[in-house]
Amino acid sequence: MRKSLTYALAAGALFGLMGTTAAHASDAEASMLANTCNGCHGPDGTSFGPASPTIAGMNKLYLAEALKSYRDGKRPSTIMGRIMKGYDDAEIEKIAGHFASKPFGRVATTGGDAAMIAQGEKLTKDLCEGCHEKDGYANQDYPVLAGQMMPYLSNNLADFESGMRSIDDNPNMSDKEKRKKKRALSDLKEKGGVEAVLQFYASRK
Amino acid sequence: MTNMNRRNFLKTTGGAAVAVGATLAAPHVALAAAGKVVIVGGGVAGATTARYLKLANAAIDITIIEPNATYHTCFMSNEVLGGDRTLAQIEQTYDGLVKMGVKVVKDSVTGIDAAKKTVITAGGMPFDYDHCVVAPGISFKAEEFADVGDHSVITHAWKAGPQTATLRAQLEAMADGGKMCIIAPNNPFRCPPGPYERASQIAHYFKHHKPKSKVVIIDRKDKFSKQGLFMQAWKDLYGYGTDNSIIEWRSASTMAGLEAISAKDMTVDTLAAGKEKFDVINFIPDQKAGEIAFAADLANDKGWCDVDKITFESKKHKGIHVLGDASVATSMPKSGYSANSQGKVCAAAIVAMLAGKPVGTPSYVNTCYSIAGENYGFSVAAVYRYNAEKDEIAGVKDAGGLTAVDASAEVRRREVEFAYSWYNNICKDTWG
Repeated sequence: MRKSLTYALAAGALFGLMGTTAAHASDAEASMLANTCNGCHGPDGTSFGPASPTIAGMNKLYLAEALKSYRDGKRPSTIMGRIMKGYDDAEIEKIAGHFASKPFGRVATTGGDAAMIAQGEKLTKDLCEGCHEKDGYANQDYPVLAGQMMPYLSNNLADFESGMRSIDDNPNMSDKEKRKKKRALSDLKEKGGVEAVLQFYASRK
Repeated sequence: MTNMNRRNFLKTTGGAAVAVGATLAAPHVALAAAGKVVIVGGGVAGATTARYLKLANAAIDITIIEPNATYHTCFMSNEVLGGDRTLAQIEQTYDGLVKMGVKVVKDSVTGIDAAKKTVITAGGMPFDYDHCVVAPGISFKAEEFADVGDHSVITHAWKAGPQTATLRAQLEAMADGGKMCIIAPNNPFRCPPGPYERASQIAHYFKHHKPKSKVVIIDRKDKFSKQGLFMQAWKDLYGYGTDNSIIEWRSASTMAGLEAISAKDMTVDTLAAGKEKFDVINFIPDQKAGEIAFAADLANDKGWCDVDKITFESKKHKGIHVLGDASVATSMPKSGYSANSQGKVCAAAIVAMLAGKPVGTPSYVNTCYSIAGENYGFSVAAVYRYNAEKDEIAGVKDAGGLTAVDASAEVRRREVEFAYSWYNNICKDTWG
């Protein structure tokens, strides 16, 4: 991932220049664009739940990629696809940069069953930690999972399982990584550990 | 000169001597360190403006003048009527703003002297300002329905709080097999999908507790917000279109004129149906800007306030900004999210004006959820930009729009989750 991330950043820098001339819209400041998101995602992108994810403290590349995927219909959503059609690449980069610079707040952590959480912790060591490092707190290469909203995590795992959200569509992952992630997700399902893993991550404070 | 937005600023300075121009443009900045802002009304627009002003510059002296000790949000108040939420769960306090250093004064504003830059209150104490923000929400038009009374029997419940509690108590007291009606107002009004979500929430309550009861919507219009989605929901949940439908909607044309509403007889008189008796009547009157907009001479002849779309400064009086439901914000609906979004745009403008800097480019968003029943939500969204040629806040083409009418059950379930998230987060973003 690190290699592909570096590549993507370099590519982003190149396209960024082209993007400036193609940008339709606004010279609005990053905070002006990003603050409109807070009504649903919480002050400075820290969500008070129950479902809208916290978007603060993610890495910029991931956030920008997620927002563009929503816009382009590659990532399923209820409302995000409709909203993101209002923004061009340059604006998305500004919004992503703004929230990447804010701390990921953990104000509405959920998940309550101690045995479940312990089981989840064990499972994540084998299946998730390889990418979502440091018990899901790490944000360098992948989205933060620790302290994320439980329904959000649950919906996204369901979307991966149903095929609505496809790892194959991710432009920033190598084929090897994609295979690894798919295997981990199917192992998690087979072991019946989905709920435990969700509870583990959602309960991180 | 402080009312300088980016366009005018560039026009006058030619865009070259920005730093020099900015200094010259704001002579009073040297006198008052950061500036004084008085905000009339502690609803969504007023509170958001206060919070974002403080976040941008903690040195700005901010006072909110608000007659109520706490604020009950109109959004989610229909869930209180449906019984899924308590009144306490839609009550917001000013503690978060006070903690940030915002002064909150419990008083009613009776007038604004735009020339002297002073706000006058019932309590008698004058408040001086550099910028005044007027966010009074709505008031009701005086109409010919004299027999409605003082809204103690026939509620409006269009400002949440005691009115919401009264209407809920009436619904609880009503016997199974009873009939209630909602009289929905003419455009424009606060929360366009609100009356129809209200009908849905009351039907949700009836379905589970009083299944022989009916909700009749007597509409003063022929079409309404999210109509296709509501009608689909009513078919899916409440038998709409069958003889057993809990909800009946009568358009303005079919009901052919609202003649009289009587609290004494509990009747609604229409040309088409004649005098009809109801057990509970909820009359949502036609609306105009909140009272202070008239006392301070801020309203146009239609009863709403024309404003600069970038600064929300009144077109009638300099130094006074009007936003939220009371303002004319072209295509933005009178919604909580609009008010929240406008509060941020207005705060950014005031921060720039106080600092003698050009006002930046605005960006506005609206998102609005309706919960029609159990696991049944849908939404509308829009992203707006300022269109200088037309002087409009215009929706970005092809962005936003409604939930698909044929969305899956899973999407509808998730929209309820996101509606609840919307509520928690917009309240935090507004009142802290």
